Amino acid sequence: MIVPMDVVLKLSAALFGIGVFGFLARRNLILMIVSIEIMLNAVNVSLAGFSQHFGDTRGQVLALFVIAVAAAEAGVGLGLIIALNRNKPGAGVANLTQLKG
Amino acid sequence: MMLFTAQAAVYYMAAASVASALLAVTRRNPVHSMLWVLALFLHVAGIFLLLGAEFLAAVQVVVYAGAILVFYLFVLMLLDLPGEETRPRFGGHWPFAVAGGFGFAALTWFTQIVTHDTAGTGIATQSPASAEGQFSVGLADVGKALFGQFALPFEMASLVLLAAIVGAVVLARRRTDS
Repeated sequence: MIVPMDVVLKLSAALFGIGVFGFLARRNLILMIVSIEIMLNAVNVSLAGFSQHFGDTRGQVLALFVIAVAAAEAGVGLGLIIALNRNKPGAGVANLTQLKG
Repeated sequence: MMLFTAQAAVYYMAAASVASALLAVTRRNPVHSMLWVLALFLHVAGIFLLLGAEFLAAVQVVVYAGAILVFYLFVLMLLDLPGEETRPRFGGHWPFAVAGGFGFAALTWFTQIVTHDTAGTGIATQSPASAEGQFSVGLADVGKALFGQFALPFEMASLVLLAAIVGAVVLARRRTDS
């Protein structure tokens, strides 16, 4: 086995943590969604690792579905951002407080 | 020698992935962030290749690096956010975000240490063929699984994508009736 499983899982954990940090800390809406993509990629890495580890194709199939859902999420998320930018040009995350109680 | 090269490639890919992810979430210029994310996606594709998931690596390059990332860059440049580089990158709560990221990473990290028992009783028991290096998930196996066992989820994925297309058009359309 070329790739040690613990390296794969630790890489996945590190990438997921970086994605969580990016999503929580960045103020740019687009970069927040990109941080979600980093997290999804981290999950895909561990799915592919488990697929190799257990000798099972299902991990790879699930990773393909994750990629399909990520593509759908990118489309809807960016559509929302464009609509938002049309209604309130130049608004950042900090200014979007209409739903605040 | 061959094995050593492969091992070196694994560690290079892992280190470069983490480094480009870190750079991607910390750069001030959003376009630079996107280019680091591109580097991350390509290195992750390399890891898929080393894990024997050739089809996943190809999809990663074509769909993620080729389509999704270009889409993000396109919207980023379409919106043309002025003064983005002068505004603060992070909210004032960023130390909590660091703690959250470390918390999640540590949770996953320690979970895998606890469950990775080589005695063969935990969840991390390796399949015998995989341990001997005999096993490789081929493209034919993935195709059979995708159109056999996972045919219904596969069709549902196409419905999800159709709904996303319609939703994106409806959301981003300019309303002319009012």
